[in-house]
Formats: sequence, structure tokens, C-alpha cells
Amino acid sequence: MVELVKVSKIYPPDVVALENVSILIEKGEMVFLTGKSGAGKTTLLKLICGLEQPDQGLIEVAGKDLSRIRPKDMPYIRQKTGMAYQDFKLLPDQTVAQNIAMPMQVVFRSIRSIKNRVSELLEKLKLDGKHDTLACNLSRGEQQRVALARAVANLPPLILADEPTGNLDGATTRLVMELLEECNDAGSTIILATHDKSIYSNTAHRAVQIRDGYFVPTENN
Amino acid sequence: MTLLTVGLSVLIFSFFLLINTNIIKAGAKLGDDIRLILFLEKEPDPAMTALYRKKITDFTDVKEIRFISRDMAYKKLADQLGNDSDVLADMGSDFLPPSIEVYPNIDLKGLSEIKLFSEYLEKLSGVVKVQYGQEWIERFHYFTELLRVIIILSGGLLVLTTIFMVSYTIKLSVVARQAELKILRLIGATNSYISTPFLVEGFLQGLIGAAIGLTSLYFLFDWIKKNFNNPGLFNFFEFSYIPTSTTLLILAVSVILCTGGSIAAMRKYLRI
Ligand SMILES: Nc1ncnc2c1ncn2[C@@H]1O[C@H](COP(=O)(O)OP(=O)(O)OP(=O)(O)O)[C@@H](O)[C@H]1O
Ligand SMILES: [Mg+2]
Repeated sequence: MVELVKVSKIYPPDVVALENVSILIEKGEMVFLTGKSGAGKTTLLKLICGLEQPDQGLIEVAGKDLSRIRPKDMPYIRQKTGMAYQDFKLLPDQTVAQNIAMPMQVVFRSIRSIKNRVSELLEKLKLDGKHDTLACNLSRGEQQRVALARAVANLPPLILADEPTGNLDGATTRLVMELLEECNDAGSTIILATHDKSIYSNTAHRAVQIRDGYFVPTENN
Repeated sequence: MTLLTVGLSVLIFSFFLLINTNIIKAGAKLGDDIRLILFLEKEPDPAMTALYRKKITDFTDVKEIRFISRDMAYKKLADQLGNDSDVLADMGSDFLPPSIEVYPNIDLKGLSEIKLFSEYLEKLSGVVKVQYGQEWIERFHYFTELLRVIIILSGGLLVLTTIFMVSYTIKLSVVARQAELKILRLIGATNSYISTPFLVEGFLQGLIGAAIGLTSLYFLFDWIKKNFNNPGLFNFFEFSYIPTSTTLLILAVSVILCTGGSIAAMRKYLRI
């Protein structure tokens, strides 16, 4: 589903965020991307969703070389990739429901199915009462869940979650993980960047660690 | 604001167009009456008559050429005088010069030609004087020319203001929605998804703006008709509104301009 071959990313002037990184993630996999702060996790996810371009190397998503995709076709790639950003990127002056509905409107889903999906997601993430709250009035933990809800709304083939549990307590973290597991069961490939050892130490899923811009083997369990 | 500007420029443009329509209509009516009278030195013999006829038709197409002999001129005058015709009694029937009445077959566009035509006729041998409504024809001619210039100018104004105002409005809303548009792109909104609302905005501005302009023109027209169509001044013809086809054309052009303006603005500010 996602393949990186010798990818390097250097932010100007000379910040080496990723160096010679290669990884293959199969369709239907759920992969935890770990590493200390500044290791390059966010950078890797941004490269995969096409928000940043690599300076070197090849990135293939769903069999397509991202560097060869015409700007015109980029929207269709993005529709198939749901990303929950570390900084959320919500629209502050729109309601929770409107924020979650956006990716579904973009692909012209029916109003009824959008409505149903929004309520379903709000319920699963314990945000029931926040349907009409403006995003700017939410706590960070709530914003984080809205960002995740928006990323998974369409149940896209590829879900990228950047620190989806960073601001959450244990119980809420479990809700988020349940939702992601559910998406994974439904067929989505998931890449999840996190510091939180508790969410990957007890799973059968793969965990990889980035250190100083390249992968090192991770001890699972 | 944009609507008002578009509406106003449509109003200005179509107002002059309305005047033009009516002037042309009036002119066509008056044009039917245009005739040139050639006063001759002496009664032309048949050969001369044929020659005159040939010379005249050589220059331009005419509806009719009527030769008026001294006798006929006298009779005509007597007819016109009616009961007072006795005043002519002592004068003999030959004091009026023979003449040729020429009814040129030209519309108002050819007004400037009338002058040339009369100059040409004046040079024919045996012609003493050529008479036609010089004064008003020339004034009328200048007036229609002026009107044409005004229409072109106000048309240009219409084009400029609509395109400028619409693209300015679109620019403002693009800037205002910058953050939203960025996120829309991130979640995979296609160009057409992003640009459709702006296109619709431009389209509606053109449509509603032109509708406002044309509606105000209609009311203005109605008001003018009620207040100025009193007998004596304009009663020789009916005011008429600009034809429906022209109205529709203005509407269509306005819509096209506004949509075009928003497309141009999007090219520039959305890089679509
Ligand atoms: N836009 C940018 N311009 C310059 N340097 C950047 C930019 N984005 C990230 N970096 C640098 O690249 C390195 C990797 O950053 P990245 O955000 O990928 O780390 P991370 O693993 O996501 O960290 P965290 O766990 O804190 O989120 C860091 O040193 C960061 O300072
Ligand atoms: Mg990060």
C-alpha cells in the first residue's frame, strides 16, 4: 500500500528530517511509527499524503509514484488518504459536525449518509453533545478527536494518524484505538505516529522506530 | 456593492441604447420624408429630362423622381392656398420655377451622403438651387454619431466595471476563505469543487446585476413615457422599449462577463 525507497527530506536550510528511509507497508496493515520528538514522524506522514515532497527517493502509495502524479489528479489521491494532523487543521469557525462532514461533502456523499456517519463518529468518540459546537471552543483533546473523526469519516483505504492520543486520558485513548482498530478491520491501512508506548506494546501490530531520521528495529511487546 | 455597480453600468448602457433605438426609429420615420428639390433655370425638354434622370440615378438609388413643370407648381400652390388662390390671379401661371423632386432611397446612415448628393446635384447644368432640410438633417446626423460614441463608451464601461468588480469581489472572498480552501485541498477537494461556488457567485452577480439594471431602466422608461409623451413634443412617434432580443443579449453578455471575471480571478488567486 505504501512504499518508501531511500527517501530523504531536508528542510531548508539544512535540517535533515529524514535520511535514506525505506519501508514497505502492506495493504490492511496497521503500523505504529514511534520515535522521540523531532525524529521525523510527522515529516514521514506528510510525505506519504503528499503535503511535502521528498528531496530524494521514491514514494509509492497504492502503486502510484507520488512524484509523477499530475496536480490535477492529486485531489483523488487525497480523497483516498485520511490524515489526522498533529496540529488538527480544523476550521475554527465551523461546527464540529461541519468539520467532520467536509471530506464526505467533497466526494458528494448524500446529506443523509453524511448525517448518519457524523452522529456515529461523535458517539464513538464520546463527543455526542458537541455536534453544533464551534471547533475553536473545543478543548485540545476534543479537537484531536474531531480531527481523527474527519480523517476516518470516509473510511479511506489509507489512514494516517499523527499522535491521535497525545492529549487524551487512558479511557479516551481506548475509544480512539477502538475506532482505529475498527477501521483497520474494515480494510483501511493505518499508519499511526505516537510516543505512547501503552497503545502499541500490547498489540500484534508492527511498530517501527525512527531515530535521527532513519529506521531502527523496534522491540515489540 | 458589486450588484449595484453591475446594475448601474447595465442601466447606463441600456439607457443610451434605449435612446438610440428610439432615435433610429424616429429617424426612419423622418427619413421617409426626406426629399431634395432641384430648382431649374428653365423647363427641361424630354432629352434633358432623361439626362437628369440618368445623372441622378447614376449617383444613388432613388425611390422616385418627380418632374414638376411651372404649371404643376402653380397648380400645387393654388391648391395649397385653396380659397385664397385669388391672390395668384394677377401673377400669371409661370412665375414659379420648374423643379425636380428627388426622393432618395437612403436611410439615416446615409445622412452624410445627402450632403454630397446635394452638392453633386447643384453642379448639374441648369440647376439653380438644391433645397433639403439641411439644418436638421445635419444636426440629426451629428446627434446619432454622438450617441454611437456614447454607447461604445458606456459599453466599454460596462465591460470594465463588471469584470473588475466581479474579480475584485471574488478575490476578497478567496482571501477571506484562504484557510478553508487550504484545508479543502488537503482533504481532496477537486478544483471544480472549490471553484464552483465562485463561478456560481459570478454568474449570479451578472444575472441579478443585469436584472436590476434592466428593471430600473424599464421603470425609468415608463416614467419618461408618462411624463414627457405629451402631445406636441414627441407625439409624432411612440416611445418604444429596447427589443426583447436586445434585453436578453444584455443579460447574457452581463452573465458571461461576470462569470468570465470570476474565472479570471480564480486563475489568478486560486491558481486553478
Ligand atoms: N517546516 C519545517 N521547516 C524546517 N524544519 C522542520 C519543518 N518541519 C519539521 N522540521 C524539523 O524536522 C525534524 C523532524 O520534524 P517532525 O515534525 O517530523 O518530528 P516528529 O517526529 O513529528 O516530532 P514530534 O514527535 O515532536 O511531533 C525536526 O527537527 C523539525 O524541527
Ligand atoms: Mg510530529
